[in-house]
Order: sequence, then structure tokens, then C-alpha cells
Amino acid sequence: MRGKTRARSVAAVIATGMATALVLSGCSAGGGGDEAPELSDKPVTLRFTWWGNDARTAASEEVIAAFEKEYPNITIEPQFTDWAGYWDKLATETAANDAPDIIQMDEKYIATYGDRGALLDIKSLGDAVDTSDFPETALATGTLDDALYGIPVGLTSYSIMANPTLLEKAGIEVPDDKTWTWDDLAEIGAQVSAAGGGAEWGVAPWGFEDGGLNNWARQHGDALYTDGEVTIKPETVSSWYQQLLDMVDDGTTPPASNIIEKQSGGLAESFTATNTAAFGPWWNSQLTALSDASGSPLQSLRVPTTDGEADGSAYYKPSMYWSISSRSEHPAEAAAFVNFLANTEEAADILLTERGVPANEKIRAYIEPKLSETDKEVVAFLDGLSEDVGDAPAVTPPGGSAIEALLKQYTEQVLFKQLTPDQAAEGFIKDLKDAIANA
Amino acid sequence: MSAIGELRKISTDKKTKAEKKADRRDNKAAYLFLAPWFLGLSLITVGPMLVSLYLSFTKYNLLQAPKFTGLENFTRMLGDERLHNALGVTFVYVFVSVPLQLAAALALAVLLDRGLRGLAFYRSVFYLPSLLGSSVAIAVLWKQVFGSEGLVNVFLGFFGVEGQSWIANPSTALSTLITLNVWTFGAPMVIFLAGLRQIPTMYYEAAEVDGATKWQRFLRITLPLLTPIIFFNLVLQIIHAFQSFTQAFIISGGTGGPADSTLFYTLYLYNRGFANFDMGYASALAWVLLLIIGAFTAINFWASKYWVFYDD
Repeated sequence: MRGKTRARSVAAVIATGMATALVLSGCSAGGGGDEAPELSDKPVTLRFTWWGNDARTAASEEVIAAFEKEYPNITIEPQFTDWAGYWDKLATETAANDAPDIIQMDEKYIATYGDRGALLDIKSLGDAVDTSDFPETALATGTLDDALYGIPVGLTSYSIMANPTLLEKAGIEVPDDKTWTWDDLAEIGAQVSAAGGGAEWGVAPWGFEDGGLNNWARQHGDALYTDGEVTIKPETVSSWYQQLLDMVDDGTTPPASNIIEKQSGGLAESFTATNTAAFGPWWNSQLTALSDASGSPLQSLRVPTTDGEADGSAYYKPSMYWSISSRSEHPAEAAAFVNFLANTEEAADILLTERGVPANEKIRAYIEPKLSETDKEVVAFLDGLSEDVGDAPAVTPPGGSAIEALLKQYTEQVLFKQLTPDQAAEGFIKDLKDAIANA
Repeated sequence: MSAIGELRKISTDKKTKAEKKADRRDNKAAYLFLAPWFLGLSLITVGPMLVSLYLSFTKYNLLQAPKFTGLENFTRMLGDERLHNALGVTFVYVFVSVPLQLAAALALAVLLDRGLRGLAFYRSVFYLPSLLGSSVAIAVLWKQVFGSEGLVNVFLGFFGVEGQSWIANPSTALSTLITLNVWTFGAPMVIFLAGLRQIPTMYYEAAEVDGATKWQRFLRITLPLLTPIIFFNLVLQIIHAFQSFTQAFIISGGTGGPADSTLFYTLYLYNRGFANFDMGYASALAWVLLLIIGAFTAINFWASKYWVFYDD
């Protein structure tokens, strides 16, 4: 066991040395960019890990098979778990110097891993992974201190998922999402709740996920993080909580214990997926999964604003990244696989939009005709936003991955009235700062 | 010194060479048989424990080498409000669920000890929850039973009581976990049953002749003679309860919610280590838990002098 670890770290040192040498030689040649390391023709085994559901697993295994056909000497071992277990496992594997070679990475964790030297700077491998078809703004979200730690896989944007069937039942038309405000949402939501008689509600709650807070902050001229620090103001968090609490109090949003119960059941048991709320905050790429689960036609709407005008608060978020472990013994082969995933039509044919609308613009155009109606709507929603999106928010700093658990804890305390929105805002910011300082 | 020397001489004098050789062979065999256990203990338990002791004085994020920070982790605990909450939750859990669990175990053991027909069957049935209690499957089942559309509310519905979700409410969530722990009374019950069998029947016969009621017999004979067993179960179950993790982890989805109402100490420790990459602090928490359990066990042993009765 120990011998193996040592062999591995020696290999890592050699690999890093080689990579550095390549970088240096690339620089001295004075040409543009580094050269790609050569692929080995000996048998190579790589490990590839991801989180996700059965559909994703099936598609991933198909993609692996396609890759192995093209590169017969490379074998990819798949490794997958659900979201919650994924990070525990990856943390321990990385600590044990045994991280998988290719890692499906999330925005909340990329800095945590990248900053601590666990991920490879993909640019150090020259053009082994072609990034020319990716928009700069998307690549920027995977870049930290000039090092590219992840290739963005798919893009998604925050949205309000509407259920036209429920709205129709209450005699309301789907609102115009280009002009609607938070007051409109609350007002229409209250009408749906009134018509629903305790079985159906207007608006599903937020407060369990950082996307909503990010969006709210941007609408109020604030930002969750700036330059790696927590900069959101307490009044921004407080008003976000107050808006939620008001809607719970007047019955627009279901009561607290209902919320908590649904919350633990994941996407399939959510209010939106069980057709019990007319509006719910979601990432727009979740439309496909939610439509499948609910069995009714859903529709992504833009997030309401305070005054009914687009304010540039919308942004494209990478749904996930392809990263390579810095301790991989075979960075060149790992890069070849990432390149295959990110840039080839063979891979795109299999993956489609399951991991989000491809960030690679050429691939996005290529798959569009092959998509189902729902998937096409997902793409159309993102395209429709393109005029109004602002710059992506700062990447979550190391330690910021704690935000999900912290939000859940404080939102619950607000919902059960153990804390006022002001107290919760203070506590949340303090704890998030603490998590980042102690990371 | 000299006495020991003499003794040693005698013992060596007494043994022939062949016998000594046989002794050594026996010892070798013993060590050989001990080796797997010893290897397991040193590699899987003692080694990591020592490492975690070192880590408790460092800042360690799992990905980079640990940095020595002295007592910082321990001083941080003083101002950590979530930790104080977790301690409170854990204490309530331990000191409510353990007495209830032992009372249930004792009551059932006394009932079953009456030479009931099919005793073995009942014993197995009541023991079953102990085998399953800390498993993931039961925690998932519990979540269903105490959910808003769960069995408990269906039952309450018969009486016209409209239930709520017991798990999703901060004021009742911990009670469902306590109920789960009480339900796993099988292990202490089996030990109580064994203890009851040890009590000589002549005491009961004598008491009966003297006209003692059933209740008096239980109070004056059974209970005092059973105190060593009660003590044993108490120590064991308190330690066990302090270390509870799985139930809270599954039922709260790993977070100790709602609103931190089921945030057990161990769950907080786990989240610190693996969700916040704060392994130095988590190690320090683990050692403090060890000290807390050690302290309660010591108090238990000290107090036992005043109430445990050894019949010998």
C-alpha cells in the first residue's frame, strides 16, 4: 500500500517535471502556446469520476466505449455516486493521493481543489485540450490565477419554472417574463394558492441553494464574493429571506414543515416535480428532468426583477467542469479523454444536453437539430438571454463549498421563526466567512 | 526482590528443557494467533488515532500538508456556537433515550423471564430492532413512518388528530430519533435476561413464604441483585448513544436539520471534516468527544460505588 503511494507520488513528481519542462520549452521556442505532450502507445488505465443519475451513467459509459474504440490502448474505469456522497469520497481520495485522473468538478469546489494544487492547469498541456470553441466568459469561470483548472461542460442560467396547467386551473395566464416583477410573482402566486385550497401553492420556496442568492445579490447591486472574499451585505441576505418569509406567512408558499419534508426528497419529490406549485426557482437546464418527473409541460421563465426591466443580473453558470487531477500519472491521456468529451461530435451525439447546454459553441450548434422539444426549449431560453446576461459572478473561493449546508441551516431557522431574517443574515455571513477563513 | 528471585529460581528449576521448549512453542503459537488482531489494532485503530491526535493540533484541509497551529483548534471550540448547540442536542439525546431504553429493556426482560412458552421466539423478535436499529434501511423506514403521510399520522387520523411531519419539524425531530433509539432495546434486554437467570430462585421462594407481593419481590430482590447488570448496560449504552451517527445522518440528509435540531456531535464532526475540509478541527472534536465519553464513564464508575450491589 505504502509502496504504491510512494510510486505514485514519484510518478507525480516526474509528470510535473515533464509538464514544467514542456512549458519551459514551449516558452523558449517563443511560439504561441505550449505543445501537447505525446500520447503513450503502451496500455494506460485512467479513472473517471462523476456524480449523477442513471441516465447520466448510461451516457457516460457509452462515451467511454466510444473513446476506447478510438484509443485502443487507453482503458477508462468509471466511478460514480450521487451528489452528496461524491464530495466526501473525492476529498478522502485526494487526501490519500489517490484521486481519479478525470474529475467532474463543480463551480463551488473548483477553487477549493485548484487553489490547493489538486488539479492540473490544463493550459500546461498545450493544446491537448482545444478550447478555441469555448467563449472566453465561460473559460474564465474555470480559471484561477491564470491557471485553467476545468473545461466548462454545459451552461445553465437561473430561472423560474412555471407550470401552465396549474396557472390555467386558477384562471391565470402565464405572465410575460420580460417585464414581470417580484411583486407580480407574489401576487399571482397568492391567487394560485387561494384557488389551490391547501393542496396547490403559488410559489415553491428558495433558500436552499446559492444560485438564488447570487441572482438576488446581483439584482441589488451586490455580489456574494469579490476577489475571494465574502462581500454580500447583510441587508441583501435579509431582504431575500424577508421576501420568502412574507410569502410563507400569507400562504403563497407552503408551510415550513412541508418545505423541509419536500426538500429532503430531492428533485423528484419537489413541489415543481409533483405539480403542487405553479412557480419554482430552478436552473433552466433542469427543465428536462423536471418535465419528466412531473409529467406536465413546464416552462422556464426569466427571474423577475424589482422594476420589470432586464438589469443584467442574469448570468450563464457552467453546470460542471472537466478537470484533471494534478497527481495523474497520465496527464496526456487524461487530456485526450477530456478533449474527446469536450470537442468531438461522437461524444456530443451521446451526451446531448444531459450535462447542460454545451458551453462549446460549435458543439451546441451541431447537436441542436438532434434535440427533443424540451431540450430545444432549454437551449432557446439560454439563447434568448444572450442580450441581457451580465458577467459571470466571481468563482466561489476555497472553502465556499460550505455555503449549501449553511444556507439550508439558516433558511430553516428563518422558516421556523427561530431567527429573524436580520439575525439569519448576520449569522450566515459570519459562518460563511469563517468557513472560507478556516478552509 | 530476593523473594521474587527465589520464586523465579524455583519455577525455572522445576521446568525441564523440553518443557521450556514447549512453552516457547506455545507462546509462539499464541503470538501468531494474536497477530491478525494486533496488526488490525495497530494499523486500523491505534495508528490513525495517533495521527488524528497530531492533526488535532494542526490546520489540515485534506489536500495540503497539515500546518501546526498549537491549541488553536481547541480555543476555537469555545466560541463555536454550532458546536455548543450540537453538544446540547447530543446530551438531550443521551440522557433521555438511554434511561427510557433501559427501562423498556428491563420491563420486557422481566415479562419474558416468566418461562413463557416460545420464549426464544419472543426474545428474537424483540432483539431484532437492535440488529437493525443503526442501519441505513431502518433510518429510511423511520423517515417514512414519521413523515407527514407516514404510519404515525395515519394512526392519529383514526382519532381525528391531524398530524404534521414529525421529522421536518425542529421541535419534534429529535424525539423521533430518541424513539428510534428506545426501540432498539433488544441488546440490553438480552443481557438483562441473562442477569435475571443468575438470581437464585430461593430468594423468591423465601420472600413468597414471607408474603411479599410481586412488586415487593421485584423492588427488594430483582432490582438490587440486578444492579451490576444495570450498571453494565448503562455504561455501554451511554457510550453507544454518544457515538450515534447513522440515524441522524440519514434522517436529516446529512445536515442535522431541520434547523440543526438533530445535529449530533458526531454529525457536526463529520461535516466539519468532510464537507468543510476542516480535518484538523474535526480531529480535535473527535478527541474532545473521547474525553467527554471518558469523563461520563469515569463518573459512572465512581457513582456505582453508591448504588451497585455485588452479591459475593
